Amino acid sequence: MSSSAVEPESPDLVCQLDNVQGVVDALTSVRWKRQQDAVVELSEHGIVLIVEETACLQAKVYLQRELFVRYEYSAEGRPRFGVSLGLFVDCLNTFSVQGHSSAIELRYPGPDMQLLLKSVESSDSCTYAEIRTRIPDTISWDYNFEPAGSTPLSFTVKSAALKEAIDDLEWPGSSIHLILQPTPPSVTFRGEGHGDLQIDFMCQANTDLLVAFHCDREVSHRYKYKFLRATTSNIPSSVIRDNRGSKLTIGRGGMLKVQHLVSVAKPAIPHPHVDSAGYQQPSRIAYIEFFVKPEVDEDDANDT
Amino acid sequence: MKFKAFLTDNGVSLLDKRFLPALEKMGKICHLYLTRDHIYFLHNLLNGDGIQCIAQFRKEALFDEYRLSSQNDDRISFAIDLSLLHRALHSIISIYTEFSASDSGVPGGNSAPNHIQIKLVKKLPPHSQQPMPFLTFETKGYKSAVIQDVPISKPLSRSDVLELQAALDMAQDLPQTLIQVPDMHQLQNFVEKMKNVGDVLSVSISKYGDLHLQVSTSLITLGAEFRKLSVIGEQAQSPTDDQNLSAQSRTRIALQRGDAMTVQVSVKHFFKSLQCHAAKPDCAFYGIAQQGACLTVVFQFFIPGTHQTDKAISLHCRLPVLDPGAS
Repeated sequence: MSSSAVEPESPDLVCQLDNVQGVVDALTSVRWKRQQDAVVELSEHGIVLIVEETACLQAKVYLQRELFVRYEYSAEGRPRFGVSLGLFVDCLNTFSVQGHSSAIELRYPGPDMQLLLKSVESSDSCTYAEIRTRIPDTISWDYNFEPAGSTPLSFTVKSAALKEAIDDLEWPGSSIHLILQPTPPSVTFRGEGHGDLQIDFMCQANTDLLVAFHCDREVSHRYKYKFLRATTSNIPSSVIRDNRGSKLTIGRGGMLKVQHLVSVAKPAIPHPHVDSAGYQQPSRIAYIEFFVKPEVDEDDANDT
Repeated sequence: MKFKAFLTDNGVSLLDKRFLPALEKMGKICHLYLTRDHIYFLHNLLNGDGIQCIAQFRKEALFDEYRLSSQNDDRISFAIDLSLLHRALHSIISIYTEFSASDSGVPGGNSAPNHIQIKLVKKLPPHSQQPMPFLTFETKGYKSAVIQDVPISKPLSRSDVLELQAALDMAQDLPQTLIQVPDMHQLQNFVEKMKNVGDVLSVSISKYGDLHLQVSTSLITLGAEFRKLSVIGEQAQSPTDDQNLSAQSRTRIALQRGDAMTVQVSVKHFFKSLQCHAAKPDCAFYGIAQQGACLTVVFQFFIPGTHQTDKAISLHCRLPVLDPGAS
């Protein structure tokens, strides 16, 4: 059966991307191990990809429709399908060839419920892929993120610094205390395990590092190191290069939300004479969110 | 059994900068095969299952004063470790160039021209009673003379040399249709990423000049098609009504019409064959041998500054075909 035989039935989604590498970067940032099942949800607003681990960690990648040069959505409801994240990323990666503008078309579903990809660059060469999809697993745990009180508990830190701090905490390992306190305004990561290591981000001392800080009371929660690490282990180099910040928010019950912004701008030709203003469309950003559940033990109910 | 020659400057740069880096990627050990007129670097010709790689040089392409004699019709072959060979050559070159640079600055200074000599010797290695064969490089530097001994295997027996020559004769057959790879770098980049997706690559080549690569597993099918490539050998006019078909349909129809062949090879082998690009060929052609016996890639080298094939140098690889049942 050739694919043209089923064309008349209109697919749920046909969309076109002109920056595959940006999307590869965004999806790679939630790839913390080799085998990961992802759920993809389509809507008129864009594509959301969700991965989770043992009901303790969830990550979402939001690819809004503005990131696509063409986005034709004609489904009712919000179709979802399961896909292997590793395979999806490796496959997309083959479409991203350095030095070539690589525009691709994504289509769902194919004749056998596949996700179809193809390059749309030239008539004499073409790359295509069909990825088998699964019926998605139900999301096992509800990650509804609610604010911890009337004022938010959050800070924004340079992504590079956050990654470096979390990488350094590998040595004590196991579990990490995250402490926010209003006076003096500071954020502390403390690891106790094979030794102690404490990393402080002082708000006043280094305004460059800590871009924003909201905290009206001291809070402290513990998170498993491996989950904390998953939030920064694959931050794309473009985030570091663009000197972006990551926002961390503590919600009710100590749930930690980590947000990164990944640029999916059309690959710009570097031009030394053009001012950087207008160089990057602000809407062409993929949003990455991680939700990390705190470690709970009986005497650790200090979220007041 | 004797072999002695001087490496030419062109030979030095061909080996050091181009061929040895490429051949090392094909495998650490190869057979060096010397005949009256040619020098061959041969991978996997005697032991069947890997990628076969045949690099052939006319003696003038590498050497001056090439002297070779053996009781076996003046043929000598032995196994050699390419990384050791490359290291030895590299170190010898640094001494050689140092001398040549100092020499050129002094008019009428040192009149004896400098050379890199290469010869086959038997020596007693330290702490050993048994003399061992070596391929030896010798040159002199500004204040020193340097000898580099590269250990080699015992020379192949008469029957093994005959077998090697027979395998080499067999491997010279060219496919009936060869198509030119459009952009070697791009293809290499693509196949490198394809390696992550699957292990078995279907390669289809048509007489219309279409190259279709596909990796297919139970979870994914990933492919690329390159059309309207130059064809050497048997060609055919592509059907006019196949423009709007998918790559897979187009290949299926071409196969049905007998205008295309398809074989399955290891993605890793295919990637390796692309790494021959390190030898800086001017173009590369893929073709499928008769009855789909193997996938052949032929690299073409031009005489510098022309578009004429340099017949003194040739390089081609033969990729073993996988049994479709086995995958």
